[in-house]
Amino acid sequence: MAMQQLWKRIYRYKMVYLMLLPVLAYFIVFSIYPLCLGIANSFMKSKMIGDSEFIGIQNYTGVFNNPVYTQAFSNTLIVGVGTFAVQFLFGLILALSINEIRNKFGKTIIQSVTYLPYMLSWSIVGGLWIKILAPTGMLNGLLNLIIPMRSAVTFMAEPKYARTIMILTSAWKGAGYYAVLLLAAVVSIDQSIYEAAAIDGASRLNQIRSITIPNLVPTMKVIVVLGTTGLLRNFDQIYVMRNSVIDNKIRNLLYLIYNDGIQKFNTGTATAAATLVLIATFVISYIIRKVIKYDQSY
Amino acid sequence: MRKKNHQFKNAMSRSQRIINYIFLILVFITMFLPLWNVFVMSTSTALDAGSSGIKLWWKSFSMEGYEFIFKNMKIATPLKNSIIVSVSGTMAQVLLASLAGYVLVQNDIPFKNAITSFIMLTMMIPGDLTLISIYQLNKQLGFLNSYIGLIINGLVSGFCILLMRNYFLSVPYSLAESARIDGSSEFKIFYKIYLPLSGPGLATITFLEFVSKWNSVMIPATITTDSNYFTLPLVLRNLVAADAALSGAPLARDNAIMAAIVITTIPLLLIYVFAQRFLLSGMTLGATKE
Repeated sequence: MAMQQLWKRIYRYKMVYLMLLPVLAYFIVFSIYPLCLGIANSFMKSKMIGDSEFIGIQNYTGVFNNPVYTQAFSNTLIVGVGTFAVQFLFGLILALSINEIRNKFGKTIIQSVTYLPYMLSWSIVGGLWIKILAPTGMLNGLLNLIIPMRSAVTFMAEPKYARTIMILTSAWKGAGYYAVLLLAAVVSIDQSIYEAAAIDGASRLNQIRSITIPNLVPTMKVIVVLGTTGLLRNFDQIYVMRNSVIDNKIRNLLYLIYNDGIQKFNTGTATAAATLVLIATFVISYIIRKVIKYDQSY
Repeated sequence: MRKKNHQFKNAMSRSQRIINYIFLILVFITMFLPLWNVFVMSTSTALDAGSSGIKLWWKSFSMEGYEFIFKNMKIATPLKNSIIVSVSGTMAQVLLASLAGYVLVQNDIPFKNAITSFIMLTMMIPGDLTLISIYQLNKQLGFLNSYIGLIINGLVSGFCILLMRNYFLSVPYSLAESARIDGSSEFKIFYKIYLPLSGPGLATITFLEFVSKWNSVMIPATITTDSNYFTLPLVLRNLVAADAALSGAPLARDNAIMAAIVITTIPLLLIYVFAQRFLLSGMTLGATKE
């Protein structure tokens, strides 16, 4: 009887299910299937033609024993964590600072100009910074003004600057986004708390420290979780900004996977590495969620 | 009078305000000068753009960079490709995401929770990590080097579906119920009642998706090898690929590269000017916890 009723309900919604069909089909073919195929391929020997051959976890041990991959892993972590830290701090200071502006026009201008780079492709942002950091670029021009008679530096060809450049350009691109998120949380704080604090004689800086920042904690947690999901997955920037001189310092996992799998047809190693990155992403975000008590908060 | 006094107490002291303004002016300079530099270089002669200096004002105004990029680099093709792919991809996304979002607001449709969980599961599968298999899949389907391949990868996102669901939830369910009693078909309820009442939601995902599709680098880099199907970001990347700059055999002079950057940026700027409101709200929506 219950079964019959269920069928009846399903039948009633048949047109609605039909509306879902293309989306479900898309997800199965372009999301679930590639995931399964990738995991399956990570246990197979890479072959251009012919049947695949099962080789167990050889690809995985290959990844672990490959110094290029371990180097890429540390590059990814260093640049990723550095980028997140700078973006987060810069975004927070920016949000607090913008919130103090009373002039609406000024507020809009600074918000737009800090947010704009977030919307631009890495091809654009990477391209413009490569040119600014070139020997004839704007940075060398500015430094020449301050220190006369210095010789121009090719910043993009100096391994010692490479990671810093990646971190700072990422922060330039992304901090405005975090600032927008934080600013939205700042303006939703109950103003009467500030009024009460002002009556009690708290200075503005004290108000920021003891009212604004504690009230931003939930948004900060969201940002941390968003940041950790993307931590190991920075492809575009490195794809655009890498070059052979600084590769050792910045080449990251995703770029290496792309390079190995798509350009060198080394699918076994590449899919094994991708599966490892996937697992690592889950593990890292699980740990971070536990550490910041994300799921228990509000 | 009292109000003024009160406001004063609730603001920074004069010196703090000045420090704050100086900080923001510095931020403005850091954010704006690089973009301005691009524009000035793009409209300078190749000689001026390639010479050293700060290049924040024109020594000589010239459009030769744009001429070069259209005539010699044939940027019209990638420009056309980018427009085709981004516009049709965005339209498909909006349609499919709102259809799926509509399903998720039905009150007692069987398996609603299962469907919602499934969509959330797909959001957890990072597309960039299945890249190799996506390449193989597109190869099997014959989608390499084709518009359909560029459009169909990333066609629907769980994020947009859930965003549309949230907008649809604010449409009174009784409206749909009474239309149903009057004998309206589901599809009619969807496009006569739900879509018109969810304008801001539709605008939000339209703009967000257009921006993300216009900027997409990874999928085109993976599934195209034929330059007839390159999109703008890919061509731009090849132009600035740093190896060429180091070995001294660049494809194009600096002013032409900057012109390409400007051309790629303009649609995003337009979108930003028109849709700032929606974009900002969409961004914030995406970051709130379910």
